[in-house]
Amino acid sequence: MSSATTSSSEQDALLRAGIDRSLRHPVMFFLTSGAAWLAVSILLGIIASAKVHSPGLLSSCAWLTYGRVFPAHLNALVYGWGMQAAFAVIIWLMARLSRKECTMTGTILTAGHLWNLGVSLGVIGILSGNGTGIPWMEFPTFAWPVLLISYIAILIGSFIQFRVRPEGHVYISQWYLLAAMIWFPWIFITANTLLHCIPGHPVMGAAISAWFRSAIIFLFFMPVAIGAAYYLAPKVTGRPIFSYSLAKLGFWSLAIIAPWAGMQKLTGAPIPYFLPYLGAAATALIFVPAATAAYNTIRTMLSAEETLAVSPSLRFTVAGITGLVVLAAAAVFLNLPGSTLPLTQFSLSGYGFEILAIYGFFSLVMFGTAYFIVPRVTRREWLSSRLIKIHFLFSVYGIITVALITLFGGLQQGIGQEDWKQPWAAAASRAYPYAVANTVAWILILFSNLFFLLHLALMWIGLGRRSSHPTLLQSAHASSPHGAEGDIDNAGPATTH
Amino acid sequence: MSLRTFILGLSASFGVAWLAIVVIPFFKMRNLEPIQLDEVADGTTGIFYPKRTGRIADGSRVYAQNGCYLCHSQLVRPTYAGNDLFRPDWGGLKSDGDRGDTRRETNAYDFTGEKFAQIGVTRMGPDLSNLGRRLDALHAKGESPEAWLYSFLYNPRSNPEHWKSTCPPQPFLFVKREIKGNPSPDALPVNAGEGFEIVPGPDAKALVSYLLSLKKDQKVPAVLNFAPAKKAGS
Repeated sequence: MSSATTSSSEQDALLRAGIDRSLRHPVMFFLTSGAAWLAVSILLGIIASAKVHSPGLLSSCAWLTYGRVFPAHLNALVYGWGMQAAFAVIIWLMARLSRKECTMTGTILTAGHLWNLGVSLGVIGILSGNGTGIPWMEFPTFAWPVLLISYIAILIGSFIQFRVRPEGHVYISQWYLLAAMIWFPWIFITANTLLHCIPGHPVMGAAISAWFRSAIIFLFFMPVAIGAAYYLAPKVTGRPIFSYSLAKLGFWSLAIIAPWAGMQKLTGAPIPYFLPYLGAAATALIFVPAATAAYNTIRTMLSAEETLAVSPSLRFTVAGITGLVVLAAAAVFLNLPGSTLPLTQFSLSGYGFEILAIYGFFSLVMFGTAYFIVPRVTRREWLSSRLIKIHFLFSVYGIITVALITLFGGLQQGIGQEDWKQPWAAAASRAYPYAVANTVAWILILFSNLFFLLHLALMWIGLGRRSSHPTLLQSAHASSPHGAEGDIDNAGPATTH
Repeated sequence: MSLRTFILGLSASFGVAWLAIVVIPFFKMRNLEPIQLDEVADGTTGIFYPKRTGRIADGSRVYAQNGCYLCHSQLVRPTYAGNDLFRPDWGGLKSDGDRGDTRRETNAYDFTGEKFAQIGVTRMGPDLSNLGRRLDALHAKGESPEAWLYSFLYNPRSNPEHWKSTCPPQPFLFVKREIKGNPSPDALPVNAGEGFEIVPGPDAKALVSYLLSLKKDQKVPAVLNFAPAKKAGS
């Protein structure tokens, strides 16, 4: 009996090692190039943000005018970093959960290069003045078929793995990831064909663009990050999910509510009346799936507090899930027709909400997942807990600043905009201090992510720690005055303890 | 749950919303029915045709490519959705000579000739729905609105009225060239060096023509006019 268990657990370990080995280069490719795009995007974000308070800065260069740098910043963030981080996490999690080795490494890597080429040409297209002027879809029109084809080539393998998996239980993470994999192309094809290929009414085009942005956040980034959190929380703590029926409730409520959200950005525009109201209601109702998933994962993680205290994966995940709670609260708070919606419809809050979703929630969970996956696929431990801590602290301080100033600054700005008895300049000047704070926050985030990129690149080229002890976030003073654990350990695993 | 049921579930939950708020409204709004003018209410018969002149197609392209929509909206919301209509020069003019108060909210015909309505994302700058009319009537006193806009685009803060503007300058839309013969009538009133002048390039001309086409001075048919009934004599 016990020998059978041992041999099956050995087989399991071999299978896991085989899956990790087969995915080493695809996962590291997407994470590293994603992190590089993140750095580029943040740099562009700093330039754009600085121009809001110092419009004369770098103004003689057409490529660096605000109206091009800002969309380049957001598109690089969404397609360069966000999508690629999601690819890395999806291909690895789907392979692990379906218990299938990846047999399409070559295809995935080729498609990954194609994706990066598409994003690069798209960003250059925006900066050179060939953007389409449709928010989040500013890439010149040649880019979207390239991205779509690469997307399918990257993820088709994960879909097949799910089809041919050994029969059995489908885990909640698989539900979320599979749904995200299906929703993204559906949304992407719909928005691009309706806006680029079929001529329609211009105002309905704007409504579809608003729906597209909302759908990408709630139906791609959100399920991927929740799926990853549902994987990490039980896996790292070794405890079961707090409530599985709650998890299902969260999934189906997201699937039913989220597709209706987004068009509240067009309240008062000449489109059918019910569209903005449905959008506002659905966006506020996102609170239900978000709070469900947050409560469930946090409760699971709290069942093992000692692990939670030292695991970098869990620390980032908790921070990301906290971001999700703030996002859900903001979704309610900013979209109340009749009170806050008129204030936030055209204020900084919109940007703040998007950044909170992409960075404060999605990216933090992706970082947590990366801190879990990378040591497994590279078979090396992270070099330094200090680098991880720097990444964490600066990211969190940065995103708290961005979120607070853009959400609340946006409300303040909105109050000024609605105060029609004052001249317009009074409303415009309300945004000024928030823009300054925004620049500072992005600088913090850039600083934190340069360390992450460096750390990741060192891991990919095989310079990680050769140790069987994971890199944990223990306080150095607790164990040794010299901070043994987590520092670069050249002498090998024998001297780690 | 099998993959098939799962995908069916997803298609049902997503597909219903997708049809109801994206696909059906899109195809319903593709070809709006022409508005028949009413003899009694409008004083004339025939079909309402939204008038708009200017280089709308290529001007809106320049507007999009240089990200004007990031800071400027083109939407005057009805009063239930915001206070835009109360501003004296956004939805028309509060006192437009004999016509009186011409302010109105944006309607579906305001974007005639454009592929994508630049509703806008954030209002860092003012709404532009009525920019052309506003410039004519209020700002460009004694000079052409084109010249006012060229000068503003070249350097928004050169105008003392707008010294606090955060609008990014767009000098790359302009060309510096040697003066041959008479100086260009469009040349900017800036010092470009002896024998040189700065004139708007093709993109600046298209953009300014487009911006000046943003006007809300056409009388709308009665069915689109939601303004409160005017008291006699006011």
